[in-house]
Amino acid sequence: MISTEFEYARPKTLREAVRLLGRHGKSARILAGGTDLIGWLRDDLVKPDILIDIKGIGSLGKLSFRQNMLRIGAGVTITELTESRAVRTHFPLFVEMAGMLACTGIRNRATVVGNICSAVPCCDNGPVLMVYEAVLQVTGQEGDREIPMSEWFKGPRQTALRPGEIVTGVTVPKPAGRHAACFAKLKRYRGEDLAQASVAVLRSDSICRVAFGSVAPTPVRAPNIERILTSRMPPEAALEAAIDAIPKETSPITDLRSSKEYRGRMLGVMLERAVKTVASRLEGSGPAYGVNVLDDYTADAEGK
Amino acid sequence: MKKHEITMKVNGEVRSVIVEPNDVLLDVLREKLGIKSPKIGCERGDCGACTILLNGRTVRSCLVLAIEADGCEIVTVEGLGETLTPLQQAFLDNNAFQCGFCAPGMILTATELLQKNPTPDDDEIKEGISGNLCRCTGYQPIVDAIRTVSRSGKSGGRGKSGRSGRPHE
Amino acid sequence: MNKMHYVGQNEVRIDGLEKITGAARYVDDLEFGPNLLHAEIVASPYAHALITSIDTSEAEKVPGVVKVLTGKDFPYKFGLYMKDRYIFAQDRVRFAGEQVAAVIARSPKIAKQAAQKVKVTYEELTPVLDVDNALKPTAKLIHPELGAYPRVPWFFPKERTNIAHWRKTRKGDAEAAMREADVVLEDVYVVPRYAHCAIEPHVIVGLYDLAGRLTLWSASQSPFTQRNVFAETLASLGLSHKDIRVVTPYIGGGFGGKAGVSMEILGAALATAVRGSPVKVRWTREQEFCNTYQRQGLTAKLKMGVKRDGTIVALEHTLHFDAGAYVEYGANVVNAAGLSATGPYRVPNVKIDSLCIYTNLPPGGPYRGFGYSEFHFGLESHIDRLAEMIGMDPVAFRRHNAIREGDTLPYGAEMNPGNLVEAIDRVAADIGWGKKETPSRPGVSTGKGFSLFWKSPAMPPNAASSAFLKFNEDGSVNLMVSGMEIGQGFLTVMAQIAAEELALPVSKIRVETPDTDRNAYEWQTVGSHVTWGCGNAVRAAAREAREKMFDVVHRAYGFDPADLYLENEHVKSRAKPDFTLAYRDFVISGIQTPHGNFLGGPVLGSGMFMPEFTSATGDPETSQGGHPNVHYTVGAAAASVEVDRATGKVRVLKTSLAVDVGKAINPDLVNGQVVGGMVQGLATVLYEDMKFDERGKLLNPNFTDYKIPTARDIPDVVSPIIIETPQPDGPFGARGVGEHTMIPSAPIIANAVNDAVGVRIKSMPLTAEKIALEIAGTYADPHFTTGGRCKMPTEN
Repeated sequence: MISTEFEYARPKTLREAVRLLGRHGKSARILAGGTDLIGWLRDDLVKPDILIDIKGIGSLGKLSFRQNMLRIGAGVTITELTESRAVRTHFPLFVEMAGMLACTGIRNRATVVGNICSAVPCCDNGPVLMVYEAVLQVTGQEGDREIPMSEWFKGPRQTALRPGEIVTGVTVPKPAGRHAACFAKLKRYRGEDLAQASVAVLRSDSICRVAFGSVAPTPVRAPNIERILTSRMPPEAALEAAIDAIPKETSPITDLRSSKEYRGRMLGVMLERAVKTVASRLEGSGPAYGVNVLDDYTADAEGK
Repeated sequence: MKKHEITMKVNGEVRSVIVEPNDVLLDVLREKLGIKSPKIGCERGDCGACTILLNGRTVRSCLVLAIEADGCEIVTVEGLGETLTPLQQAFLDNNAFQCGFCAPGMILTATELLQKNPTPDDDEIKEGISGNLCRCTGYQPIVDAIRTVSRSGKSGGRGKSGRSGRPHE
Repeated sequence: MNKMHYVGQNEVRIDGLEKITGAARYVDDLEFGPNLLHAEIVASPYAHALITSIDTSEAEKVPGVVKVLTGKDFPYKFGLYMKDRYIFAQDRVRFAGEQVAAVIARSPKIAKQAAQKVKVTYEELTPVLDVDNALKPTAKLIHPELGAYPRVPWFFPKERTNIAHWRKTRKGDAEAAMREADVVLEDVYVVPRYAHCAIEPHVIVGLYDLAGRLTLWSASQSPFTQRNVFAETLASLGLSHKDIRVVTPYIGGGFGGKAGVSMEILGAALATAVRGSPVKVRWTREQEFCNTYQRQGLTAKLKMGVKRDGTIVALEHTLHFDAGAYVEYGANVVNAAGLSATGPYRVPNVKIDSLCIYTNLPPGGPYRGFGYSEFHFGLESHIDRLAEMIGMDPVAFRRHNAIREGDTLPYGAEMNPGNLVEAIDRVAADIGWGKKETPSRPGVSTGKGFSLFWKSPAMPPNAASSAFLKFNEDGSVNLMVSGMEIGQGFLTVMAQIAAEELALPVSKIRVETPDTDRNAYEWQTVGSHVTWGCGNAVRAAAREAREKMFDVVHRAYGFDPADLYLENEHVKSRAKPDFTLAYRDFVISGIQTPHGNFLGGPVLGSGMFMPEFTSATGDPETSQGGHPNVHYTVGAAAASVEVDRATGKVRVLKTSLAVDVGKAINPDLVNGQVVGGMVQGLATVLYEDMKFDERGKLLNPNFTDYKIPTARDIPDVVSPIIIETPQPDGPFGARGVGEHTMIPSAPIIANAVNDAVGVRIKSMPLTAEKIALEIAGTYADPHFTTGGRCKMPTEN
């Protein structure tokens, strides 16, 4: 039961949504899937005067893949994303991550864009969109602009979005050439949980991208680790050096879900398993996308 | 707060109701439409007791505003039919409930799972229902019940979902 | 015994159709019409504080608010075994979340808005948050009036301390025997608090009508006990028991959390303040965590001495229960543990001290396992370690010391029948004891762990059950009992017992949930005793009805009643094989005689049961002399696990549990208790954990951060094994099983993890984090920061 009182608008066009947002400013909240927002309303964590429901704007519900570019509209749910043939074929990392994000009943409602707009440090889409080097499309009364994922998160629950702006979608370029990826999520058990820590690794012949979740005020890329992993060091040595570099890239804390010590220790395990899994996937022998290498790790067993 | 009249198709019947913007769909179903099978368990999307089918997909009705559901189609356990579905029968046969409080949500979640994947294996069943908490049964009889229906489909379990982790070009 | 037709069969649950069609109604589903009022509770943000003022004026001004009430309106104490609680806090609050005021309004939204306008000012006191601090001589007294609280005669509070009850059990001479032992191990084990997490939160609707009748619709395991507590507490209103009615429709899980009276007192009290209108109090999930009962925390100090041949000679077990702010129910958990903390072992010399200690955490209370789940963790960990110290296989060690029928219990009475040795052997075989499983991949280690368990119902000596049944025109039966269907299948089991005695199918018997106006008395549905206690009452009721049927047939036809019997819904006579009389032909309308008149009439049966052999009169210094427990159910369990040495994650490959239920009235339902209880117990040892901050506030009052198992978190295999050594005073030989199945979960995992990776963790839960850091040697358990964890003082 929500006791905070607010009005509700369901604009049919983006223009109307922007106009409404301009009129109400900070007292308006955008409603997409609502799986975070409605909980916050119930707990009186936010007290908007109006909710602007963007699910009536047809263009925002679109998911497309053209010219090696995936475009995820702001209304696209996690389920719609994972059911897309293009995503399953070209962006399996989303499928791997989504399988560990909440549960069907939430994924059917929650949106990809909403997840990163909530911008909690443990948001699972954060590290994945970062390694894909996705770009957000934003519109407001001042016009349109794009924000790369690397500049999106500004702090816990803080983003680069300015008052009056709406995120309309996110574009995700398909990595060039032969590539493979892995998302690992440390959870308190196999069931649904917020990440104690997470890591996404994406590799091709030319690039290596690594991002972490839940171990800093925001999801973070790890440029030093990426540099080490793409150096000319032998793979085992590079991995060891990369693990040694983790403390430079992250700042885990102790909270309800984990101690700093465990997070720190597990980051090494996670990076190792993710990197090895990516390597085996690149060779065509890795586990199917969708396993959590922290629960069911097979790269070792297969001789990698 | 402005009041709004919304219209939904609920268990096959078109029904209109006056709501306030801050009315939660779960509360409106229970208190204004008299549909009692979606239960109040946690009111924050964690337990799944309030699960309903909204336009064919399970959602947590505690995390949906009633006004968002204007024009939508809703199915609850009451609307699955006058005779038991094979899945409900399997729940009965396997004692796949004890206190029964999670059963409506669990049955709807399993219904959606079987629609999407008529032959899930045990891992897929467990993943599929992992958002619906049951404190009584230890889940094993629920998995057994769903497996019974799964096997009555065209083929047996198809193994771990997805393909092997080949590289992508 | 003749072949049975219904008892021992896997009858379909009689509540099944309702539950899978959505037809089953729980309290919050009932309709009360547009006059229903809603209450919102104002709770204390502090764990320990004096209330300096409460200003309700702003809240009262909110349109739609009907009344705002505080402790001043209800200066009454209540409690089940000790009256140490108030309906609302009076001058002080003793835990964060305690109810201070209530707003009653026309809608839940208005009530919530107005509750935020109730202004309470506090003078914060230093909270007492753990048992060590609570026991210090300088500790702040949480209940300065403790000595004056009315209580049951078997509680022994220590005035001017925080010790609300101290159960002492003494047998033999533990101190002397310890000197004779070849090996002595002493250590401390810590168990945190846990939450029941029934998926249905507590809810109650109360209506005090204009004619003075008080009706409560309550999500409760204890309708009659609630009625009694409400009548006692609100005695000043002049309510008679007959004027109070408690109706309990289906409840969405109990596990002990809905036993006794916790938040329900608010429904009863508030109803009296808004006479003529029903008022609903429904707990949110957060309130469910913070202000119902919690399982109490335990710090257990164990000292056990054994001979080299593996014989246990002495046990000293000191249990410090963190019982929370009010112990009106929780003190009896402490009492139960204090009588039985030897576990199911022959221990000739025993010294048990079980202390119920007040702290400024939420009230402790009954939770499946009732003290036994708590102490078995330490005890069974300790047993494994002692076996290792003397070089004996832990299963052989347990088998050697296992309690047998006729052995002397810690308090002097005799052990009831039960085949623990068979349980041990069958579990050992089922789990493949002695065989090391092959790890599924590099980096993981496998291990197995074993545990015994026992438990007795903890009941007052005069806890009674009763039953009525009445025949209908078509020969079907309505059976009216007040045991509660909490998911275990109670209604079905009662129907099976009646069906067996009356020779009619279960489908012809309707049993529904209790209503204290209509149904027969039952103490409470707790302690795993209702199959046994209420089952006996149902059996007696069915037999009474049968005798009445025989009597009327005898009078109408002149047959000797001794020759009559029931079969397939007919009365038959061994003396006259061609005689047969269908129930439907006489159970209401009687039997017509040749004269045209009718004999007999509607057939009713009533039955009662009370364990007349029990007493709670043991010596307070030794517990010798009484017979506090009716019987123990015993069993054994084991786990096979795989531990990831890098992450610390435990995968439970298999658990096996054998329990001697005397007689499984419905084996499928027994299996349901085994699987459900085992999984609930595994969660307590693997991840569940209530976390409080340094001011006593619960940090994880939700399922986001208090993790209960999902379908992905169950063992690959849970294997139930039913053993049937009849209980002589049980219905068809049955004894209880509901709680027992969760008791061994914690030690089997602790022992299996130790077997797999060689780390002995002595504080629950054994999270992946704790295991990984312990393996790495970097874990500093806050409970064990000092050295000298164990010692062998009598090496010779």
